[in-house]
Amino acid sequence: MPQSPASSRKQTNLGVNLQPKKSVSNIGHKSQYKGYAGATQSRMFMSGKITIAPDTKAEKMNISAPRTHTQVIDARGIDVTPRPLYRPDPNTAAVKPNKILSSQEESLTSELKSSLSLYQNTLNPSILGQFTRSALGSSTVSKSSLSTTESIPEDLEEPCYRRERMPSFTDVQVMRATHGISVTKEDLQKTIEIILTETEMMIFFDLPTVMVSVDSEEAVKVTQRNKNYETLCRNRLGNDLYVERMMQTINGAPKNKEVQCDRIIKEEKGIMSTIWDMYDSYNAVESLSLPIKQSKIDTSTKATVTSDRDQRLPGSTTEKNSEGSSLIDIENVILAKVHDDEEDHSEMILKSDKFQQDLFFMERVLMENIFQPKLAAYRQLPVFKEPQPGDHSEASEHEKPEDTEKEPKKEDEEEINAGRSTIPANLERLWSFSCDLTKGLNDLLAVGYGHFGFKEQKKGLACCWSLKNPMWPERIYHNPYGVTALDFSIGAPNLLAVGHHNGNIAIYNVQSNSTVPVLDISESSQKHLGPIWQLQWIEQDRGTTGDDKREILVSISADGRISKWVIRKGLDCHDLMRLKRTTTSGIRKGGEKEKKGEALISRQAPGMCFAFHPKDTNIYLAGTEEGLIHKCSCSYNEQYLDTYRGHKGPVYKIVWNPFCHDIFLSCSADWGVILWQQENLKPFFSFYPTTYVVYDIAWSPKSSYIFAAANESRIEIWDLHVSTLDPLIVNVANPGIKFTTVLFAKQSDCLLAGDSDGQVVVYELRNMPTVSDSGRGDVIDTLLGSKSNQG
Amino acid sequence: MTEVEETLKRIQSHKGVIGTMVVNAEGIPIRTTLDNSTTVQYAGLLHQLTMKARSTVRDIDPQNDLTFLRIRSKKHEIMVAPDKEYLLIVIQNPCE
Repeated sequence: MPQSPASSRKQTNLGVNLQPKKSVSNIGHKSQYKGYAGATQSRMFMSGKITIAPDTKAEKMNISAPRTHTQVIDARGIDVTPRPLYRPDPNTAAVKPNKILSSQEESLTSELKSSLSLYQNTLNPSILGQFTRSALGSSTVSKSSLSTTESIPEDLEEPCYRRERMPSFTDVQVMRATHGISVTKEDLQKTIEIILTETEMMIFFDLPTVMVSVDSEEAVKVTQRNKNYETLCRNRLGNDLYVERMMQTINGAPKNKEVQCDRIIKEEKGIMSTIWDMYDSYNAVESLSLPIKQSKIDTSTKATVTSDRDQRLPGSTTEKNSEGSSLIDIENVILAKVHDDEEDHSEMILKSDKFQQDLFFMERVLMENIFQPKLAAYRQLPVFKEPQPGDHSEASEHEKPEDTEKEPKKEDEEEINAGRSTIPANLERLWSFSCDLTKGLNDLLAVGYGHFGFKEQKKGLACCWSLKNPMWPERIYHNPYGVTALDFSIGAPNLLAVGHHNGNIAIYNVQSNSTVPVLDISESSQKHLGPIWQLQWIEQDRGTTGDDKREILVSISADGRISKWVIRKGLDCHDLMRLKRTTTSGIRKGGEKEKKGEALISRQAPGMCFAFHPKDTNIYLAGTEEGLIHKCSCSYNEQYLDTYRGHKGPVYKIVWNPFCHDIFLSCSADWGVILWQQENLKPFFSFYPTTYVVYDIAWSPKSSYIFAAANESRIEIWDLHVSTLDPLIVNVANPGIKFTTVLFAKQSDCLLAGDSDGQVVVYELRNMPTVSDSGRGDVIDTLLGSKSNQG
Repeated sequence: MTEVEETLKRIQSHKGVIGTMVVNAEGIPIRTTLDNSTTVQYAGLLHQLTMKARSTVRDIDPQNDLTFLRIRSKKHEIMVAPDKEYLLIVIQNPCE
């Protein structure tokens, strides 16, 4: 690097002569700092921008102007004022401003003098390489304290040297702090052309490789050289040509360079990777290929998807094009809109099907919580007691028809436990009842509601209740007429047949939510004209016609007809029997003419109930309002096979014993329950416990001795094995409420009772006396035995 | 829509129910019977718990998903029906 002493004289004195500043005290390194600032500034100039760093000051020094002396004193009080490197030659002329500078800064150059051109000289990018090199190399010429400062001026000097502009190099000019340069509005609005050019490539570091590929051309030479060197090394030891000698090298003083850079902004990014997240991502990629069109539309509207949405679907980094439900995409679209669309969105949530379903489940869960002990009792599970003192025992509170009269006898017994089912307030009184415990765990109960009294008829209701929600029915079917009979189909348990007070039969499909009946006989010409008192689905062998086990619906109504309905296209009716009024074939005195009956308005006898034989579905019993029970057959529709006389009032219900097929029970309005044997036309046993009408009876499915009877004021459970005179349990109703129907639950030890208040109460039977297997013979023998004893 | 309202009203009137809340995914209550601060608190906390529970369920089997969450405490039971867009929360005191 040519550095003539002359040039060193002409070095500009950059950082040394300074205006007194606060930072002066640390000038030892600061000056070089300033110099660097100048250097950086020059770099900045190079890129076309003009910034005037306020802290670099190039003192304008006129020859004529007096020099300001600054004194630098370091911490120890020693005067370390750097001696000026450059003493301006008073005879030199001022430097003309650089052309580059003038073109850009004419409005601003009042203060800037030609010394800036000094800086500008370094604009030449090629110089910069030299700059660095000279920085390193200049240390040789430096005096200790001036080493740093020298480097720069040397540099700057160099290009001037190159350009032979040394004479112009006389001044050190310092840029004053920019005072307010008036910038007019026009200036602001003037378009300033900024030309950006690409700089030349700057090589900051070049380390040539010391390895050569075997395939290259030099390989041979290099290997030869390597071999020579090896031999040389080996020969070196004892060789006279090589002598050890000391050498002294001058080590340059190292220099500290400080660099300042912008603060490195760090961001933390975390991702959660879980098994399901990866699964979702893979699925998304797969499903991505399918609805591509839709995803395109979605992504275009999803342009403003915010990151918090991403955050909410956790951890998913894959672009969610079609992932997630379409509802989410719609939601994104909505979010991108105005805020008052938020309202619609909330409404959408409330309307969505999923929400309804969730509500439905929630209600059931609540019910489960409320009724948990009772439901467990229903299922005969051990009841979970809450570990809290505030818990009440089961037999409390809920039970409305509370008081149980316990038998003070040896049978220690039964408390009746009440579950509860309440109903909405718009219902009236209970009429009929049907229970279907389907195969699944779904216990479904259908209850029909209608007005109790015969005179007024208001609107009726048929409801399907599920055990899981005792407080609200699953299905509600409204009817303009009271419901008087109900039954679930056996073959298709989703079909519910409902009979009404006006003679109408409707069939509903409980699987669907619709409240429109599937079939209706209101259009049929053969519909019943009186209230339908009983409906039952029967599976009948239709051996003659070739179909087997077809299910038919049999109905009996007050117009005296027993009809069977077949579902073909619509309901086809076929009369099984017309019930005729019969005269009492009591004692006829000989010769007395048989009265053909008084003048009757109708020759039909209103039928109240029927019961098909459990084994032989061709035989059935029908009870009439006259008190007679006729045994009929499906084959004959004109005549009865037998007539059982015993009741004095309308027979409300007949039930066959499920175990012993010769026995059946009947109950009637004459306050009595009569046990019959099939072959015997006279009553076998009669029970007249109270002076109230008995509305319903049912055999227990568990034992052939036990049956339940519902009369007006109480429910009685009789156990024939124990006693034939008194009921086993009596459950008295609240005053004003009459029990109208009773039913045993098939799969658990529970009794359901409907009352005139419109409520169905579930009772659990506990501690029922267990019976040995109820064979057919036992009952008869027992009964017959005792009967024969009674004589 | 009215059926939904009816069902919500019924749920609220059941025995032991302290409060019912429907909160959307951002934690803004849509329908609530409790005061706002409590609702927001419940929503925030239960949202996190639901996420965790769902994450647990799906980690075990990614094809499974969380449908219902019940938390029984000494004083009452919190039942949450979570979904992607909302949370249905009911607080019940099961044995009064």
